[in-house]
Amino acid sequence: MGKADRISGIFWFIFSVYVTIESYRLGLGSLRKPGPGFFFFWTGILLAIMSLTVILRSWREKKSAGEKEPFFGKLNLTKIVLVMISLFLYALFMEKLGFLPVTLLLFVFLLGIIEKKRWSLTLLVSLAVTAISYLIFEILLKSQLPKGLLEFLRF
Amino acid sequence: MLDIIPNVLYGFQVALDPVNLIYCFFGVLIGTLVGVLPGLGPSAAIALLLPTTFKVTPVSAIIMMAGIYYGAMYGGSTTSILVNIPGEAASVVTCLDGYKMALKGRAGPALGISAFGSFIAGTVAVIALTFSAPFLANIALRFGPPEYFSLMIVGITVLTYLSSGSMIKSLMMAAVGLILSGVGMDTISGKYRFTYYIDILLDGVGIVPVAMGLFGISEVFLNLETKIERDILTAKVKNLFPTLKDWADSIWSIIRGSILGFFLGIIPGGGAVVASFASYAIEKKASKHPEEFGKGAIQGVAGPEAANNAAAGGAFIPLLTLGIPANPVMAILLGALMIHGLQPGPLLMNNAPDVFWGTIVSMYIGNGMLLILNLPLIGLWVKVLKVPYYLLYPLILLFCLIGSYSIGNNTGDVLIMLLFGILGYLMKKFRYDAAPMILAMVLGQELETAFRRSLIMAQGEFSIFFSRPISLGFLMIAGLLLIIPMITQRKKLSTLEGD
Repeated sequence: MGKADRISGIFWFIFSVYVTIESYRLGLGSLRKPGPGFFFFWTGILLAIMSLTVILRSWREKKSAGEKEPFFGKLNLTKIVLVMISLFLYALFMEKLGFLPVTLLLFVFLLGIIEKKRWSLTLLVSLAVTAISYLIFEILLKSQLPKGLLEFLRF
Repeated sequence: MLDIIPNVLYGFQVALDPVNLIYCFFGVLIGTLVGVLPGLGPSAAIALLLPTTFKVTPVSAIIMMAGIYYGAMYGGSTTSILVNIPGEAASVVTCLDGYKMALKGRAGPALGISAFGSFIAGTVAVIALTFSAPFLANIALRFGPPEYFSLMIVGITVLTYLSSGSMIKSLMMAAVGLILSGVGMDTISGKYRFTYYIDILLDGVGIVPVAMGLFGISEVFLNLETKIERDILTAKVKNLFPTLKDWADSIWSIIRGSILGFFLGIIPGGGAVVASFASYAIEKKASKHPEEFGKGAIQGVAGPEAANNAAAGGAFIPLLTLGIPANPVMAILLGALMIHGLQPGPLLMNNAPDVFWGTIVSMYIGNGMLLILNLPLIGLWVKVLKVPYYLLYPLILLFCLIGSYSIGNNTGDVLIMLLFGILGYLMKKFRYDAAPMILAMVLGQELETAFRRSLIMAQGEFSIFFSRPISLGFLMIAGLLLIIPMITQRKKLSTLEGD
């Protein structure tokens, strides 16, 4: 895990430096009366030391063995990214548009475009899932899903 | 000891109330279902059902949530055995021998022994819980902030010690978890930390959305990478009842697994996942035919399955007696108790005996229900698994989306869940274990408060953690766990250099 460890080690090192500085600004207080930043200042320093160890270890491992590792399966990376984006869009628009339209759109997207299923099947399943999940969570479990565009339904 | 019997009887009175029975039944049923579905864990299920529990009594709410938790441990094994996909992290080891047994046409006995083993272990754990909880609650009354601090440190080190992969990386994740727990308002000074005037961060980073992201969403991403070939056994599952020989082969594994699981469950951070792995290792060592492990040894199914169920029971001890949650599910339960105005801890037994004893006794009943439910319903769970993955993963994602939204009816939690889904996916790719992070997050606030209170109490003398005997004992255990891997790793390195 040479290269991967170096990348992740550097990431956590930067994170820990950031946390340490922020905690310092929050106020360390004293040992008698530790302030709000005290605990995280020291946790940040510990994390920094550990991430440096991981980085150093990765250098040493690199010298001993120049290994190559298969990392991200190239084939499906676009698929994963597309699914991630669709989920974020779902979260961002669920309150504006409401549960019913976004859920329908999400399923049409996932089944029709990502999984490339037949359109008749996609539409049928998406409609069914949307309706059934609405019945279960909104009507039966009273989850108070966002109404959005369909606000007028609330009376 | 004698006063336990009337208490247990009182517990039965509470648990046998028809309303509570129904909640218990729904809990174990839903628990088994989420246990069967890969990527959807008990935290997600409890989050989905959380809003419904606000309107019922605290006893019913806790009984149902507890049922979801130990029910999931039952359900997880079914998928491990039949499809080689663990429905639950605690059932990962069950795949090793359970699936091999199924390939040999012994799916029936594998499912049967795991159900009976789970039942026996669950019952053993509940009995042990009944007798040890009042005793431990008494000891806990004498705990001050330094003892709480040291105990939680032990919990985190135990988990990092036992977790998979590099120990230093696990410790790093624990540190990250601690830092994340600091987001929001500082309970001592009232200052906001790391919030940057972002609304969703003011109340802190929620544990439920983080757990759903790290364990649910990231799992789906990982599965999307490869086309999953799921060869579901088409042959009919028969002979669910293990033969006498099966029993003779596995009864000691079940007993060992139960005891081990219970004790690992008590330690915050021990938990079901760790218990199942430890049990597998022990069974392999104890067996006269270790070469059969990995090829369909029934002990490799019976031991770990017993261990993870016993651990699920043991995990209630730190919550009910100390008020310390041992895992994300317990953290949600803690939150649920507090919503109902109950403070979990040593005084819970006296302040709310109906909740304390009712919950414990409901687990006896729930375990019985699970046994009855699971054997005949295996056919149904197999059908659930036959839902093709292109349909299953959008459904899992949808449940997570609804679940995270319904925690507080805001999209902030949904975004947090998705961000941690991506982080969890990357952590899997870069080989970082997510379990220490979530445990540290769960314990973080308590840990920091105990730390600062101790220092205030001792007027800045750091030695307070070492001068009190119980606290010193805990810290010595933690120290040992940190030192052991350094020595063993050095050995590993030196053998490598010798080559």
